[in-house]
Amino acid sequence: MALTIKEQLSSPGGILKFLVKYNTIFIFILLVIFSALISDVFFTSVNLSNLLKQVSGIGIISIGMLIVILTGGIDLSVGSMVALLAVTFAILVNIFALPLAILMTIIIGFGLGSISGYLVAYQKMAPFVATLALMTIARGLSFIYSKGSPVTFTTVGGKFMSDFANNSTLRIPNIAIVFFIIVICAMVMLRYNVFGRLVIAIGSNEEASRLSGIKVNKYKFLVYAISGALAATAAIIVASRTNLGSPNMGMAWELDAIAAVVIGGASLNGGKGTAINTLMGVLILGLIGNILNLLNVPSYPQQVVKGAIIIFAVLLQRFDSK
Amino acid sequence: MKNSASEYRLEMTGISKSFGVVSVLKNVNLKVKSGEIHALLGENGAGKSTLIKILSGVHQKDAGRVVLNGEEITPKNTHEGQVLGINVVYQELSLVNDLSVAENIYLHKLGANKTWMNWKGVMNDAQELLDSLDFKIDASAKVKNLSIVQKQVVEIAKAISEDTKVLVLDEPTTVFDPKDVKKLFQILFKLRDQGVSIIYISHHLDEIFKIADTVTVLRDGVDTGSMPIAETDKDGVIHLMIGRELNELYPKRDIKIGEVPIFEVKDLTAKETLVHDVSFDVKPGEVLGIAGLGGSGRTETAKLIFGADKKKSGTLLLEGKEIKTNSPVDAAGYKIGFVSEDRKEEGVFLPLSIRRNISITSFDSISSKLGFINVDNEYKKVLNLIKKLNIKAPNSEVDVKNLSGGNQQKVALAKWLSIDSKVIFIDEPTRGVDVGAKIEIYNLINEVAKKGVGVVVISSDMPEIMGISDRILVMHKGTFYGELQKEQFSEENILRYSIGEPLKTI
Ligand SMILES: Nc1ncnc2c1ncn2[C@@H]1O[C@H](COP(=O)(O)OP(=O)(O)OP(=O)(O)O)[C@@H](O)[C@H]1O
Ligand SMILES: [Mg+2]
Repeated sequence: MALTIKEQLSSPGGILKFLVKYNTIFIFILLVIFSALISDVFFTSVNLSNLLKQVSGIGIISIGMLIVILTGGIDLSVGSMVALLAVTFAILVNIFALPLAILMTIIIGFGLGSISGYLVAYQKMAPFVATLALMTIARGLSFIYSKGSPVTFTTVGGKFMSDFANNSTLRIPNIAIVFFIIVICAMVMLRYNVFGRLVIAIGSNEEASRLSGIKVNKYKFLVYAISGALAATAAIIVASRTNLGSPNMGMAWELDAIAAVVIGGASLNGGKGTAINTLMGVLILGLIGNILNLLNVPSYPQQVVKGAIIIFAVLLQRFDSK
Repeated sequence: MKNSASEYRLEMTGISKSFGVVSVLKNVNLKVKSGEIHALLGENGAGKSTLIKILSGVHQKDAGRVVLNGEEITPKNTHEGQVLGINVVYQELSLVNDLSVAENIYLHKLGANKTWMNWKGVMNDAQELLDSLDFKIDASAKVKNLSIVQKQVVEIAKAISEDTKVLVLDEPTTVFDPKDVKKLFQILFKLRDQGVSIIYISHHLDEIFKIADTVTVLRDGVDTGSMPIAETDKDGVIHLMIGRELNELYPKRDIKIGEVPIFEVKDLTAKETLVHDVSFDVKPGEVLGIAGLGGSGRTETAKLIFGADKKKSGTLLLEGKEIKTNSPVDAAGYKIGFVSEDRKEEGVFLPLSIRRNISITSFDSISSKLGFINVDNEYKKVLNLIKKLNIKAPNSEVDVKNLSGGNQQKVALAKWLSIDSKVIFIDEPTRGVDVGAKIEIYNLINEVAKKGVGVVVISSDMPEIMGISDRILVMHKGTFYGELQKEQFSEENILRYSIGEPLKTI
């Protein structure tokens, strides 16, 4: 129920309800405060910009994941797609002019995503199955094309990209700026564009959407294609950061992306979720990793903590729907 | 602490309930004896369903007492309610689509104290129960393959068991034809005579006066009166419900009906349903009624034309030109509309706001070429409709799942009636809508017709279909059996055609 903030705070148990409702932002702020208290390195610009650089790639595919999840689907292929497309970009940038290489990579990403989209929308394949198959295929192809070893950037175009990816503008890392722009575009599209409205409608009741004359198949197809194009964007960014495209990139990123979307309060049944909250989810996951690194916690315990946070966040959301 | 002195089996006293800052029930009393049918009436959003959900354990009351058989009860969930003998047929269907009828009927009893189920026994018991209700339903069928009428019967079967002490039916007959209603009444009378307390919610006042012994009326969350049915009449009840007299239920229509049909259907036959050889036309400005018994193929005909079901043969002509509707997208493209009778599954988007629900069909008029929505126009349009249809909600941003059933129906209608259509099919337009709001909907239908739209209304509500149609087609076993002109309208004539008999010649 849409009440003003003041009304919410003044109703019985209001403050608690308010916190539960905006729990992702709340958790995020808590984590920031906690991190600042526990480590004096945290609030240095080096650390913060590292944090942003680390999350940007996963962040971009999380936005694609969000759009797919909003329709009630899932895209398991994005991690492998990042590897395949990073290798692709490294090969292309060594052959073609930079803008052309970027464009081609994104188009190929869109095309690969379209395969999942086609299978899900027109062949009625379960999203889990279709994208699982694509995940294996993409990973396999990335090893084949790279012959198993990383492809290094060798041209001026590649040099330009790696400079871009490692520098900052107004102290914000360039690749984080790309990520934020994508978040803002997604926000606008989901809120103010027919595309977003229909995607959410399809996720909340597919049959009613169909009977409202909505081109359900077209939109279900499109979301996977867009997710593919965003995977390509993420691939270009992560490849540029390290100056190479490797078939080992993006390992299990699809799981982090799903986690970020879910921590952001989206429902895997579709129809519920926002770009801002997904951004929060991405930052929360990144923060946890960052602070645990600062505390020198080894990576296996880190995974345990991450898992626990996911459970906690989703349990909190449960109260909201009551 | 047995208090056997009380003459009531169930006493709800001083019940109050709010959702957030919205107060829905204020100090409500409801007292039901054993072996009586107690009607609970009130406008859409008056709080009837909420009161019932407090009784059954879905919601928790903020204040008040519920006493059953002299003992105070506070069910925390529906399971506790059921153990106490309170069984409810909720307003919205809540069956599990992928399970069989039998499994659904015995779902809440599963795992009670047995680890293993005797499925054969369950199947037989379920079939026996269904047969005793006198509706022909196969207990082993999957629920998703049932018609909405059959689903409703399964809900009723689910609620009936040996230890039911209080049986609540929240608008059980909205999809029933008169024959089905009669069958249900026989079942209820039998249960009443066995001593079950029955609470019956309906907006069909005729039904109330046929079966209820006592009536309690709610208005805006306050009970405005409770009395034996013999001490009141329809006008009296309406007055308690809406606080004023109601004028003409069916508004006068002075619409010029066009000569040339706007839409024609020729020899339409379905691939997968019983619909065959359907031919009819509808003229601009005309309200064409389609009557028939449940299962006669009315909904299927509309869905076939709308492209939701597959066609085998037949021709559709829109404004004289042949069109093909292979999917709802095609149909919507030709400006053909369809309001489904199944609002929860096919009509509304429960988790979305009223605004997002209503504007889903009208982006053409409120967004730019690139698809950006003019939110100001959207608000204007939506608020206007909320006012016009008297949708009861604090604002346009409330999720539809938090609206009362009748108000959800209005949202489903608003979605289609607010856009420019050429032909519109409306299946059970006033399902679950109160008497006052029915008038608003009829007015809106007339307004739409006045613009030159061909309106086709499917309804099981006899007075309604006779009250609003210019002409009625009656369906029987998947095809039109007969046509009635205005001067031939009568319940008897409709019923004769719907069972496949000719009219009596005078
Ligand atoms: N979960 C909820 N959250 C917020 N408001 C609610 C919720 N459930 C019901 N309401 C509000 O409570 C009021 C009463 O609703 P209720 O469903 O009891 O009405 P009703 O009398 O059954 O109406 P109808 O005849 O349309 O079924 C409505 O205004 C509705 O919007
Ligand atoms: Mg109700």
